[in-house]
Amino acid sequence: MGLTDLLFFALSAVAIVSGWRVFATDSMVRASFLLLLSFVAVGLIIVMLAAPYIGVATIFMMTVEMMVMALFMVMFMMNPAGLNPMMMVHQHRFSIVAGVLAFAGLTVAILFTSFPGIPVDPAAPVVHDLGIELLGPSMLIFETAGVTLLATMIGSVILSSRSGRFGLADQGSRPPGLEPDGEPAGRQPEQGGGGHHHHHH
Amino acid sequence: MELIAALLLLLFLSVGFAGAALADGMLPALISGQARPSWRRPIAEAARLLQTQPIRTEAPDALLWFLAPALYLALAIIGLAVIPFGPGLVTIPSEVGIVVWGSCEALTIVAVFMFGWSANAPLPLIGAYRYVAIALPAMLISMFVLIGAALPAESLGFTEIVEAQRTVWNVVRQPAGLILFLMLGLAISLRGPFDYADPADLAGGTTADVSGPALLAWKIARLAMLVSVSAVTATAFLGGYLGPILPGFVWFLLKTALVLVVLVAAGNLFARVPPARMMGVIWTMLLPLSFLMLLAVGLELLLWG
Repeated sequence: MGLTDLLFFALSAVAIVSGWRVFATDSMVRASFLLLLSFVAVGLIIVMLAAPYIGVATIFMMTVEMMVMALFMVMFMMNPAGLNPMMMVHQHRFSIVAGVLAFAGLTVAILFTSFPGIPVDPAAPVVHDLGIELLGPSMLIFETAGVTLLATMIGSVILSSRSGRFGLADQGSRPPGLEPDGEPAGRQPEQGGGGHHHHHH
Repeated sequence: MELIAALLLLLFLSVGFAGAALADGMLPALISGQARPSWRRPIAEAARLLQTQPIRTEAPDALLWFLAPALYLALAIIGLAVIPFGPGLVTIPSEVGIVVWGSCEALTIVAVFMFGWSANAPLPLIGAYRYVAIALPAMLISMFVLIGAALPAESLGFTEIVEAQRTVWNVVRQPAGLILFLMLGLAISLRGPFDYADPADLAGGTTADVSGPALLAWKIARLAMLVSVSAVTATAFLGGYLGPILPGFVWFLLKTALVLVVLVAAGNLFARVPPARMMGVIWTMLLPLSFLMLLAVGLELLLWG
């Protein structure tokens, strides 16, 4: 067993253990960072598989993604900063069945696939070839997927942010009253000020 | 060759760090007109911090709090490792150097957030959140201008990017790109107008509840990242190790020092605007400007390349 094998097993262990801890931790932020650690280990394994661009880009994208995810989760879930302990798993019975099925399916796929054993020529311009592929024959697929994802993100933010903390978001923010159903606290904005439409009384 | 580069990296980081500490301590005094500021100040400050009592907050995430400065410092070193110090002198030769550097930028944001979040205290948390909101788009901008630097080289590797600047430096191709990248430099070394993590307006923000050796470690990591981002700026925009007569490493050191002094001076001369306003400026002005720079470089290469 060479150094490469040891490194592979170490990285795999990090990926698996941190992936498992994602579901065992009690904080959204910690879960995001554990998932990030798992992805970093997977990214480094991809680098070892002679795909440096995909590996490093995985680390880069997952870092940004997990950071944004932590930020947005806290924004939408109103858990002060994700420090409050919370249950990170739900729908237990369904997820157990789904997990077992996915594990069995993937195991079968791995056992019955004959993986290519051709080592990549170290001199092969892998990054260049990938670039030609991405921006050549596969461009339409990737661009379509990219625009679809962007539209999904914007749509989900719009849908989920309508019911804001102080009432509906499209009616302007309205702080809670000093007494139940009373006047909103704080300074009242001028009519039409701030680009909001206020229909208070 | 890689071993020599690794040794040079240690030397470069040590010299650069000492220079950064001196510049950081002396430039504000020089700018304010003091003729001979003391060079001993950073050392005295470090000695003071080592003796200061370490404090704890209530129920912090001790592990992340402890690891954040180490991660920050490690990212500065990894960033330096993919940069050529001279022709063929690079610690980790990578054909995807700017993506590695981009990951270091992104993980720096995570490190700063971790540091503020894990203290479990209000001011560090506010610092951490608003830093993420400002630094993420700043990082996007830096990646666009770096792609503009990679276009003429037709490669993502820093060595190729330097070699492609033999005809013309990237600062001539995209002058605004350099300025945008310097802004990112201020953001990821937590400095001046882009320091939304631990500035005075939050009573220290992410560092508000840190003291003693832990605070010293954080400051060391900040200065190391300042050296690292200066080196990347010199490589991507100022021709890196290219230059007449003197050896490449010396040119690289000089250019890095120049960028470092510019960054420290900018951190002292420009004021920080409120985060919401900065956010608007970044998304509506600076990000489109970086698109324009990328478009300009692309058109130039398409028409005359």
